Amino acid sequence: MVRVIVNGKEVHVPEGETILTALKKAGDAVPTLCFFGHMYREASCRMCLVELSNGKLVPACAYPVSDGLEVRTDTPRVREARRTVVEFILSIHRIRCWSCPRKGGNCELLKLATAYWVEGIPVCSSCPLYGKDCLVVKGEPCLGPITLAGCGDPCPSNGSPCIGCRGPVTRRDVLEAAAQFYVSNGVELKDVLEVASMFWEGLPNYDALKVSLEEAFKKALGGGTG
Amino acid sequence: MGRCCGKCWHSLEYPCRNYVRCRTEGPLCHDDQRCRTLRSERIRYIKEGPNGYRIKVPLASCSIAAGAKEVLNAVKEVVESLGIPSDAVKTVGCTGLCYLDPWLELKAPGMPVALYGNVKPAEVEGILKKYFLENDVSGAYAIGERTGKAKGEGDVPTLSELDVWRLQVRYVSRNCGVVNPESIEDYIAYGGYRGLDRALRMSPEEVIEEVKKSGLRGRGGAGFPTWLKWRICRNQPSKEKYVIVNADEGDPGAFMNRLLAESDPHRVLEGLIIAGYAVGATKGFIFVRAEKPLMAERLQKAVEEARKHGILGKNILGRGFDFDVEVILSAGAFVCGEETALIAAIEGRATPRQRPPYPAVVGLWGKPTVINNVETLAHVATLMAEGWESFAAYGTERSKGTKMFCVTGAVKRTGAYEVPIGTTLRTLVERIAGGVKEGRKLKAVQIGGPSGGCVPAHLLDTPIDYESLRDAGAIMGSGGIVVMDDTACMVDVARYFTSFIVAESCGKCFPCRIGTKILYDTLTRITEGEGTLEDLEILEGVGRVVRDASLCALGGTAPNPVLSTLRHFRDEYLAHIIDKKCPAGVCTKLLKYRINPDKCVGCGTCAKHCPAGAISRDEKSGKYVIDQEKCVKCGTCVTICPVNAVMKEV
Repeated sequence: MVRVIVNGKEVHVPEGETILTALKKAGDAVPTLCFFGHMYREASCRMCLVELSNGKLVPACAYPVSDGLEVRTDTPRVREARRTVVEFILSIHRIRCWSCPRKGGNCELLKLATAYWVEGIPVCSSCPLYGKDCLVVKGEPCLGPITLAGCGDPCPSNGSPCIGCRGPVTRRDVLEAAAQFYVSNGVELKDVLEVASMFWEGLPNYDALKVSLEEAFKKALGGGTG
Repeated sequence: MGRCCGKCWHSLEYPCRNYVRCRTEGPLCHDDQRCRTLRSERIRYIKEGPNGYRIKVPLASCSIAAGAKEVLNAVKEVVESLGIPSDAVKTVGCTGLCYLDPWLELKAPGMPVALYGNVKPAEVEGILKKYFLENDVSGAYAIGERTGKAKGEGDVPTLSELDVWRLQVRYVSRNCGVVNPESIEDYIAYGGYRGLDRALRMSPEEVIEEVKKSGLRGRGGAGFPTWLKWRICRNQPSKEKYVIVNADEGDPGAFMNRLLAESDPHRVLEGLIIAGYAVGATKGFIFVRAEKPLMAERLQKAVEEARKHGILGKNILGRGFDFDVEVILSAGAFVCGEETALIAAIEGRATPRQRPPYPAVVGLWGKPTVINNVETLAHVATLMAEGWESFAAYGTERSKGTKMFCVTGAVKRTGAYEVPIGTTLRTLVERIAGGVKEGRKLKAVQIGGPSGGCVPAHLLDTPIDYESLRDAGAIMGSGGIVVMDDTACMVDVARYFTSFIVAESCGKCFPCRIGTKILYDTLTRITEGEGTLEDLEILEGVGRVVRDASLCALGGTAPNPVLSTLRHFRDEYLAHIIDKKCPAGVCTKLLKYRINPDKCVGCGTCAKHCPAGAISRDEKSGKYVIDQEKCVKCGTCVTICPVNAVMKEV
């Protein structure tokens, strides 16, 4: 057994184990994405980074413990690194939450994005309605595809459309994909804007958003259904 | 290199312990004047050529590219007609004086050695006739020691008078351009395999101790003490251990490993065998970049020759040490220079893995493995032959010895130079490499390849050692130095190096795969005039995370070019973002070409050559004007204009 100090708390773990084991024992969870027990431990997602006493950031899932190792899981550098990594992942993630099979509260990325305040994922990611029950599919101007997730979806859970009270997603590629989704289900721009104007009219970026939405719809209409 | 007489019994089955020394001082096992004369005459023949005649032609990748093979053919054609024995022609490696390629070195009895640079095949006959028949050395680039017997000696400097040679310390590169790299006999005649001979007389612990005393640190860039790596590996209980030469040199602008291995492959091999002996390995690998075929070929040949002479294989030099070496070609990914990726590449898939455990503990196929750079091992061979004092005599308190640097870019004398560690960048760039071309101003020095950083001109007095360079925001790296003058745009330079990293990132970990792409996209935006001040924050923030969070050293150093240029050349970034101008006139999207109507003679050449049809004749004045809307900013009109009327406006 070796002694590891996790955030000032001492825990004992068997030699040869990783920092992650020590963290679990100490009850200080760190997020992991690519770690999968003994099947995959290549430390490629860098979500489980922790800071050592020498200032190095190392992945908890692959770094072996040694006696007297001091680990901190919540320093500013760790938070910045994790947050940026989530941003990195989202920046190349094709956000199509309305048609994603993992929707309905099962999305790891959504959990991380909310925990680290990274914007970009729409309400659809956690919406309990999908398939035939989806309100957009029914033709209603639900704002789910273009509203930031994280509210816990009280409205769609009760069968009423999202009205966008959390604010809009501003990423252009998400807006374009959402517009295509609207268009393919026969929802019109003016209906969407009508709902959107309720909460978003006073936003400083509303005009810009409106322009982007109009362009996205134009593109979706021109490019056919998608 | 046969036996001198029947008394010599060295063979692969019964190796002689004194084989190496016997070749130069021998024979040792019996006293025979005839045998002794045989040996010494052979050595004189190798060193001085037949009857003192010698014509050296360099054959390394660099010289061949410059036309050395044609020069060699031209020499071979005329040599006999001049009455010089044809075996006087000797092919050697490269001296590192790349700006002279292809060169010729001539020697006749009584004459000074003469070095001719940039020789063209058509000039060969003239040069040879002048030197050998007229005893005239005028026109040579430099000569060896003055003898007072040749004509024109006074006008030609001796090599030791030239800064480019005088300020160098040729410790590890001593044989480059001297020995025939394809001949083990040459190498031994010049004192080769003495280090191995000496190491095998010591215990492995003593060898490690010797390297420790020398203070040698890894020449691959990180500067890890070589002895410590060996000691850690030696202390592992495993029966099987491996040593690997990392000859996967991939930095743009760095070629010292290729030069060493092509010009003196046996020295690298000797170092590898010594390392194998010190750590207790049974097998060594030479991991060569496939894009450097001549290097691989010469190393392969060296391995085969060494096997034939009992220097490699079973019971090396009769000391009971078994060791064999295999040359492995890499598929040429930059990341393979990283040691865990290199190991993975030999195993089958080249991606790095998290360290620790370090390769010295868990390496190739799970066995303890030592990976050393080509130059490190060449240093080992040299210092084992000469004793650690000879090595530790050079360098600074914390970093001993010499290091080879490749100076390229906007300098007068491009080449690979070996200097003691602690030499200032100014000495290396301005005195040895001759500084930037006339009328230009030195702006920055990029050191350490795509993982390194830019050192601005005002920090040129930084001594080159691991710590000082790190403080200046660069790294020693493998030793590639790219010199940039005022025609270089630092934003564009950062963008170029980042594009290299984006292409070479293996894609395993997110920060390196995605972060470097974000850096690249942001830099592209800035060079195209669409950058905002927010972009600078993105560059710094993303750069910091890529550096801290990446899995291997490639990602960990990837943002260095961006961060170091941001630190030292922030005003250039601001000029791109705020003024939408590229001060150096490199970023084409921010440029404007304009024809000066006062200079324009109305010849119309530019309009004919413009690929975009953007130049038209102004009917009123008869002069030509560029339509800025259509202009693609290729710069053809600038080069083609006979009266230099086209101006680049920044």
